[in-house]
Parts: sequence; structure tokens; C-alpha cells
Amino acid sequence: MKIQFILNGEEIHLDVAADRRVVDLLREDLGFTGTKEGCGAGECGACSILVNGEHRLSCLMVAAQLAGAEIVTIEGLSGEKGFHPLQEAFIREGAVQCGFCTPGMIIAAEALLKSNPNPTREEIRSGLSGNLCRCTGYQKIVDAVSEASRIGKKTT
Amino acid sequence: MFNHIPEIGKTFVRPDAAGKSKGTEKYAADYYGDQLVWAGVRRAGIACGRIRNVDTSAAQSLPGVVAVLTAKDVPGTNRQGIVHKDQPVLAEDKVRYSGDAVALVLADDRATLDKALALLKVDIEPLPAVFTHEEALKPGAPVIHESHPGGNILLQAQIRQGNAVQALADCDVLIEESFDVPMQAHAFLETENGLAWQEPDGRIVLICSTQAPFRDRWEIGHALGIPMDKLRVSSPYLGGAFGGKDGATVQCFLALAAMHAQGRPVKMTWSREENFAAGYKRHAAHMEYRLGAKADGTLQALHCKLFYNTGAYAHLGGEVMALGMEHAGGPYRILHTLVEGWCVYTNQPIAGAMRGFGVAQVSFAAERMMDLLAAKLNMDPLDLRQKNALRRGDQNTSGVTMTQSTGIDACLAELQASPLWQNRSQWKEQASLFKRRGVGVSAVFNAIGYGRGLPDSAIAKIELTQEGNIRVYNGVTDMGQGNATAFVQIAGQILCQENNRFELIQPDTDRTLPSGSSSASRTTYTYGNALIKAAEDLRRKIIGRASLILLADTLDGLELLPGRVRDMQSGREIPLEMIASIMPPEDRICTSQFLMPVVRDKMNTGKEFVIGFPHLLFSYAAHLAAIEVDELTGAIEVKEYDAKTEAGHVLNPHTFTQQVHGAIAQGIGYALFEEIVTKDGRLMTPDFTTYHIPCAPDVPEMRSQIIETWEPSGPYGMKGVGEVGSNGPLPAIANALADACGVQMTCSPLSPERVLLALAQMKKQENPRQ
Amino acid sequence: MKNVWLPQNLTQLWACLDNEPDARFFAGGTDLLVQMRSRKVEAAAWIGLEKINEIKGIDEDKGSIRIGACVTHAQLLRHPLIAGKLSLLHKAIATLGSPPIRTMGTIGGNICTASPAGDTLPPLYVLQAEVEIFSFKGTQRLPIRDFISGPGRTKLQQGEILAAIHIKPSSGTDLHHFEKVGQRKSMCCAIASFAALWSLSSSGRIEKARLAWGSVGPTIVMDQDIEGFLIGKKLTRETLDRAAQLVEQRVAPIDDVRASADYRRKVSGHLLLRLLHFTQGCARRHIRDKGVADPPIG
Repeated sequence: MKIQFILNGEEIHLDVAADRRVVDLLREDLGFTGTKEGCGAGECGACSILVNGEHRLSCLMVAAQLAGAEIVTIEGLSGEKGFHPLQEAFIREGAVQCGFCTPGMIIAAEALLKSNPNPTREEIRSGLSGNLCRCTGYQKIVDAVSEASRIGKKTT
Repeated sequence: MFNHIPEIGKTFVRPDAAGKSKGTEKYAADYYGDQLVWAGVRRAGIACGRIRNVDTSAAQSLPGVVAVLTAKDVPGTNRQGIVHKDQPVLAEDKVRYSGDAVALVLADDRATLDKALALLKVDIEPLPAVFTHEEALKPGAPVIHESHPGGNILLQAQIRQGNAVQALADCDVLIEESFDVPMQAHAFLETENGLAWQEPDGRIVLICSTQAPFRDRWEIGHALGIPMDKLRVSSPYLGGAFGGKDGATVQCFLALAAMHAQGRPVKMTWSREENFAAGYKRHAAHMEYRLGAKADGTLQALHCKLFYNTGAYAHLGGEVMALGMEHAGGPYRILHTLVEGWCVYTNQPIAGAMRGFGVAQVSFAAERMMDLLAAKLNMDPLDLRQKNALRRGDQNTSGVTMTQSTGIDACLAELQASPLWQNRSQWKEQASLFKRRGVGVSAVFNAIGYGRGLPDSAIAKIELTQEGNIRVYNGVTDMGQGNATAFVQIAGQILCQENNRFELIQPDTDRTLPSGSSSASRTTYTYGNALIKAAEDLRRKIIGRASLILLADTLDGLELLPGRVRDMQSGREIPLEMIASIMPPEDRICTSQFLMPVVRDKMNTGKEFVIGFPHLLFSYAAHLAAIEVDELTGAIEVKEYDAKTEAGHVLNPHTFTQQVHGAIAQGIGYALFEEIVTKDGRLMTPDFTTYHIPCAPDVPEMRSQIIETWEPSGPYGMKGVGEVGSNGPLPAIANALADACGVQMTCSPLSPERVLLALAQMKKQENPRQ
Repeated sequence: MKNVWLPQNLTQLWACLDNEPDARFFAGGTDLLVQMRSRKVEAAAWIGLEKINEIKGIDEDKGSIRIGACVTHAQLLRHPLIAGKLSLLHKAIATLGSPPIRTMGTIGGNICTASPAGDTLPPLYVLQAEVEIFSFKGTQRLPIRDFISGPGRTKLQQGEILAAIHIKPSSGTDLHHFEKVGQRKSMCCAIASFAALWSLSSSGRIEKARLAWGSVGPTIVMDQDIEGFLIGKKLTRETLDRAAQLVEQRVAPIDDVRASADYRRKVSGHLLLRLLHFTQGCARRHIRDKGVADPPIG
């Protein structure tokens, strides 16, 4: 199946099986290994991407659903500027340990801040409740998202 | 991003954080290759049986299948294992647990691999199986390893001081209770995986998500009959491990596959379901305790019997039990102890290393016993603990003298002073309708290092590169704990170079030097100590070589500064690149080996332990959990948590706190929801929908206070802090539950169902007629 | 490799179905892809319904709210009509899955999956929702109680899709409550859930009571005897205790790895007691608001 979509600001044309999982397409076909797979069943959030600005799970999406969509992965979040404010906050606040959940968390946090620019700590926890982390206990992640929202820079 | 000199004691941002935040840092899972071959394993599916036949013909003839391998294709011994080599890479005549690997398939793509695995006809005749330690120890029980002299007992051991049985009879107060804890899964986010290929000269190269790349070579070599120099293993940053990647997981499969892939790279990634089915677990344990004290609360005697269910293969079962036994009495002085342990084979999934290695289990028992004792004595729970807390110079329950830093009393004192403890009565009174509030504490500790019987060694290697940068060759995996960060701080402190001058090479058996496994809270302590020496050597070397250019007649007047060496008298400066340019490659490298100090006491007990006993160094913590119990559902919510942790001097407050937070969260999971459930040895909790780990709303805001001491033997006074925190939550929460509503839980997790049942039973006992 | 079709409108959908009569439908994919991974479901081809305009959107007409089957849970949570007039449904959806699952999953999908633990179902039953079914031949409507016929089973025939859900919002003076019992606070399957809609007379007696329990039977459990027992009585501990005993007799839970039948049975009764919150002083303030009732959080 021929599909066309925007990935991190660039137009992509692919001829790919319609039912190929988006997480595989991103990682293996296009080399964007920043998006991770942790469970393959929508339970851990490591495969989180933005689809038309919304937080979705690429392990539960198939290639056919990409047609005409605008996709942003973690690699696309920093753009030309180097570091997205959320990435800076994660780094500074110590929210990164093993880091495997980090891309998904940042994507989830970006979606959260877009819809709720000033979340309480409880709202941050709720907004990130679809992203599992086994290393940090979440606290410094909440610190980081809180800090990023405080700084107030939230556009991609 | 931030250019400064990494220094000890300051929060220094991790060098790996940037790449991980941008998604550019590559984990083993992120390595692919041209003409990639995908490898997968067919597993037994039943807990115990005799393999009658494995028909590979249909799988082999499927287009796109590269090879189908069974036990007969395994050269070497076909045995992997860390201490006991009892686990076949591919099962021969018998399967001993439902995840036992029976065949290895290589295919051109994943869809073909899945098809081929399903086409294998595996005929196994079921045999009677045992799942609990009681079943396994019954006379006449089926023997899991026929050649093992101990039958189903992997290891039986004792730790004895004085005469506990006699002393218990003379105690003023005696508490008896039994406890049960289930298997826990590590649930790291990056599942077991690796990439391997065979070079034209026959050498096999692996990139693997592993905690022990150097030991892996030895394990693979023994299993497959490959000389160690024909194997190269590297471990990038891991996406979590917590002990579950200590010991071969994919390694032997990958090496074997590489030998059959005609030079093509082979990738094996375990699905989450496979991680649950075949990954290692924390041991389930049954613990019987008898604790006696004087009327004034002085602990007198402890007799406990510990049964660790190690599953089908040994892995590190004996060592896990040994460490549990060493910690069975808690961080206290107890004059008379008798700790008996049985590590028992069953047909359950394999139990192995997991953060808090045998100690998480006994901490539950020991700390519940302390609260039961406090209640009986009508004593404040913290006062009782404080009264008996180990201090430097005491002997612990194994008879080891605490010659090193011992800070549990300071932790307890701080906890006693904390507002959560001081104001607990008022806080509890504010519980609303159908909610009961309780506050509970626990005092925990965890040894660092391997213990006696094997070298706890690290070899640091540091280099002045041609560009004038400092390259640290990390010999021990960074699985997220941030040891690489500490190493940059240590080197920065000694060499006075800015962070952008540092390069880190992650473990690679070709380039870095053996430094043991990333485990036992040991990595920063051992490699850090080695690195201090190596970095100081390098510093002297750089200055010494600089003197040749500066024509300085004494080294005393030269100082190593960021990017240069300065002659303090003349003011002349030489850039590091220039100094490097006059040094041949081998001169620009310094190495140093460090061995962790061992217990010097002459041990009169624990003779059954070949390795892993006793330990010299411990880190300590006192935890407080404030919980709310819902009387209608039995659900426990942790509202507040406070941890006071002592691990010597702190190199980096951020990474220290990260470890404490993470350990608490895993402990909360262990306390409230995590339980591997099997039926006839098959996983009933094979994925994240049935096995729940805490998500963000489940973990409260945690308070973490660093209680600093100075450990003279540690690099800049530190001790490892990775594990101690994971032992605190289950007992603290169980104690809080008893405080909230009188429910005395002896098993975990403290699920809503168990709590509701206990509440109902209590009500019946109080009102028998209702 | 399977074909995946994403028709943009109904005309395209019927044409797709002609070509692929054995295709399976999906909307957000959050259920189907998981079931296919665990091989509970096989499909020769898939038809995605996400893009079909006619089954999206939320509107109100003559006092009835129509929700397109492909409206996502996240869209429902954001929509003022749902937050304002279908607060009970809003509450339940907030507990469903996780933020990304709510972004992807649809109300139609949750209904058609027809899990006894489906989070939208207890409120939809209590709100007496009707489902609208489209086929090439036309449309029909069914009460949701009649649409779901068993665990994982609906009355949908080959060639039919769920198109919309119709709900008449309850009166502003009605009280409501939803509670989901799970193993943790997010991303969990309900062990038991409870939705209640009731109203009180001026003397504080129960005039109307509609109660539904999830995860404690092959389908959502509603029982006229329990509701009948409560009518005319005041909301007291005694009343609710007795009603709870009746609940325990009427639910039919199973044992599974998440919980035992005994626990589910006990909790089903206990959840009724939570309504006592509405008789507490601090809850009376909530009653004065337009039917938005939250048990006070401790």
C-alpha cells in the first residue's frame, strides 16, 4: 500500500504493508529508534507518538492509519533548536534514569501541556498515567513537567 | 548544555540524559542490521515433562526460515548458569518449567519466525510437577535435577550465633509468626534482547542488554564450547534491569544463532509475554519467625526458618537465600540467632537476582515482628527499633563486627523527628467516612558487594585522547543507576576538566576491563575506587609529561587545569592536545584494579555458603508510610511516604535521590499489587494487563532525606544505595495497615481482596453473633 | 499481510463490505489490535471506521443527546454537553484506560467489545441509552440492554455497524455516582464497577433508583428488586446494608486472576454504601449543584 504522511515536518512516501505496525515502521523502516516498544499491547506508553497533535500509541496503530496524518516522534520534538523545553526540564530535574520510558513520557507530557498548560502535580500524574516508568518512581518526572509548564514554553 | 567541572557532592547532570531525552541514545534494542535474521525460541508450555519428539520438518521447509536448532545442535556443554551450570540452553530430554526453551528458530522476518515457531511440533509427555517448597520437600517428591546431590534442595544452610533455641525459652516476651511473599517481576521496560553476528574469522560479536558482559562471555563459552577470546560482548545503556539481566537471557541463543546465520546479524527481542514467561523473578518465600526479647525491649533471640522457592534452575538462588539469611534479623543487635534456610527447586519460573536480593523478603518478616513485639511490650515502634539498632562496633546477627559506617540509628532518629511521625495521631483522626488511616515504619538495610568467596573487583581504565579529552572506559554496565555519571564526576574532580571534555565508553569486552556485574549495589563503590587511583595516575602522568615540554625541574609547581597544564611560577600553559601529541598511545592510558575489602572476622557460621557470605558494608534506611484503607473495597492508598537513607557520603544528590525514589516505587508495587500468579506452573499474569506495576497516580509524593556519614573505604566516602530502599515499603505499609485497622497481614501483596477479607474476619471475631 | 480499509463515509463503507464481507471492524484499534496480538481474534481484512463522518460528532436534538459511535473517549471528556448533562458517563470515561487509550478508543468500540467490565456500560445502562445501528438496508434502534447479549456479544449482524448512541439526560435534580474498583489507579480492568442514578423526594425518600454493576456478571447487572427495595426509603446505613445483601445475591461474578468471585460479590454490595456520602453534611452542597455529585475525597 502506498501511503504519504508528514513525519517530524518532512513528507514521507512509503510503499508498505497496510497492516504493518506503526512502531515497526518508525523504528525499522525509517530508523527512528527513539520511539520504543515496551509491551506491544498499549499498556506501557513507551511507543507514544503525536498524531495530528494527539498522544497515541504506535504499537496499536497500523500503517494505513498514517495516510495524510502529521506524526511527531521524540526526534522531531527538538527540531532545529536543539532541545525542546520538556527535554531540557527532564535533563535538569533528574527525570531520566534508564531513559527507556523518557521519549514516551516527553511525548505524553507535550500532549498534556498543550491541552492543560498549567497542570497541578496531580493532573500531571493523571496525564502521564498511561506511561509506565520502572526507575524513577515518577516524582522527578512530575518535577520536570511542572518546571516546563512553569517556564511556559510549550510549542513545538 | 552546561559546561562546568563535574565535582563530587554536587548535583551533576547525567551525561546520558541528553541523548536519552532526544531519543538518540541507542539501547541494545535499537540495533538492527542489513540482511537481518530474527531469532526466536519455542518454549515448553508445560511445567514438567519428558520430550518425546520435536518435529522441525514443517518449520524448516517454510520459505524464509534460515535454521531450526535443537539441543543436538548445541556444541559445548549445553549448560548455562552463574554458579551452578544446571540450565540447558535448549532442553534435551526434560523440561522443568513452562518457559524452558526447546528449539531455536532463525528466520528472515518476524512474521515468518512466528509462523515457523507455531509449526514446530513439540511432543512432551507431562510428568508430575511440584510448585511449592512443601511439595518439593515431601519425601518421594519428583526430583527436578536427578544429578543434583541435594535432591530438590539447591542449598541448605545455617547462620548461628549463641544458642537461640535455649535463649528463646528464657525470654520475657516471645512472638511467633509466619509470612509468605510471592514472586515479583522486574518489569524493566526494555525487554531482554540483543544483536549478534559472526565475523569472517569466526569471532562472535554481541551487543546485548546485559548486566554482566564479561561474565556473559564465560557463560556463553562454557555453554557453547567457544573460547572466551572468540567472543566479544558489549552492553550499551540498559533500559532497566534490576537484576533481571544478570546472567544469560538471550546471550547463548544469540551466539548459537550467529553460528548458523552465515555472517548475517541476528536479532532476538523477547516480547513482553516472553519476558514474563521466561525472564527471571524475585524468589517467593515462606518465612517462620520466633523472636524473643526482654521486658525492656532488648532483643534476645531469633530463630527463623526461611524457604526460598528458586524455580526450575539455580541461577543465583543459593546466593539470594544467603543474603536473605544474613539480613533475617534486621539491622539490630540480637545476641542469639539461628537462621535456617532451604533454597528449593520447583517447577516454577526461575527465580534469580532482583533488587534487594533475598532481603526484600525477610525485611517484611523482620519488621512486622518488630511491630508485633512493640505492641506486646506497649512500646513505641521507633523506640524499640532505636533501642536495638546496630551501631558501629557492634556485631550483627551473623557475628560480623560493624567496623564500617553504620547509620541506622541516625535514620531512625530523623524519622522520629519527622512531622509525619510527630503528627500522626491528628492526621489519622481526619480520616473520612469509610476510610481508616494508619502510619507505619520500617528499618531496613542492604549489604553492598558480593561478600566473601569471590573477588569483588573492578578495573578502571582512563585515557588522555589525542584530542586532549578524557575517555573513561566504564567496565560495568549502567542500567539506569547512573554509575557512568559518578565516574565522570570522580574523573572530573581529580583531573579538573570540564564536562564537555569527557567521553564515556560503555562496557565492551574488547575495550573496557572486567569490573564484575552491575549488581549488589557495588558498581560505583568498586569501579569508583579503581577509577580514583587510575585518574590520579593519569593526572600525575599528564603533569609529568607536561614538564618535558615546560622544562620544569619539579612537578610540584605544575597544575592540571581545564584543557591545559599550567606552570604556576611562569604562568606558561600547555594545552592537553599538545601533551597528548608527545605521548604514544599506550602511555596515554592508566588502569587500576580495586577489590572490595572483605570481612576480617573469623567466621564460625555459614559454612555452607561457598560464595556470598558474609558482607562487610551495609547501607541503611528508615521508612514511614502513611496510608488510607478503604473499608468498602479494602484498597490501600499510600498518602505520604518518607525515607531517611544512609549510604555514606553522597557523590551526587540527584542520582542518590533517583535511586531512593525508584526503589520506593518498586517497593510499593511489591507491597500493594505485584504478584506473579501461576497455575500448574504456567503464568496467569503474563502481561501488563494482569501484572500491574505502579503508574504515576499510584505513587505518592515521596520525601527523601539523605543521612550522611563517611565510609572510609568508599570512593569519597560513599556506599551503594541502589537496593536498600526497595526493602522498606512492604513492611512499612503492612505496619501502617495494622495501625489503621488492626489487620495483621502475614502475606503480600496487600491487595484489596486480602485486606477486605481480613477486615471481615476481624469483624466476625469481634461480633460472633453477626 | 492483510488489507486495511479506511472508508471516509457510509457509501464507501458499504462498498468495502461488498469486497471484503469477512472483514473485521475497528475504530480506535485499542481492543482489536490487542486481541489479534494474543490471537483471540483472526481477521482476513480490517475495515477502520474512524474516518466515517456520519458516525462522528455529538449533538443535542429535542432533549436527546446523540453521540456518534466513533467519538473518542477523549472527545467525550472535553465536550461541554457530556460534562454538563451526562456527568455520570463523564465520570466513568475518566477512569477508562489511560490518556492515549482515551484518545484512540471510541464509545462505539467500548460498547461493541461488550466486555462485562466495559467502563462506559454501567452508566449507559443506568442512563437507559439507546443504540442506533446502520446497515446498507437502513437503521434501527435498540435499548443498550437488549443490544448486548452476553460477554463479548452484541446483536450486530453481518453488514451492520453501531452508528450512534442516544441518551436523554436525566433531570437536573437527579443524583448520580460512579465508582470503579481496580488494582491500581489507572490502566486497569474493572474488578467491579457501579453506576447509580437516583432522586429524592422533598422528605428525603428515594423516588427513583437506577443501579448498574459492571464486572460482576456476564453482562451489566441491573435488578428491579434491588431498585424496588430502595424506592420509598430514606438513604440510611440500615437501608443500604439490607440492599447490599440483596445485591450480593443478585450479582453473578466469576473468579479470575484479578479477583475472586467472593470479593466481587462483597464489593458489589459495599459499593452501594458509598451513597451514604450523599447524606453527609458536606455532600448536601453537592446536591444543590445541578446533579453533579462527588463523594468528598478524604
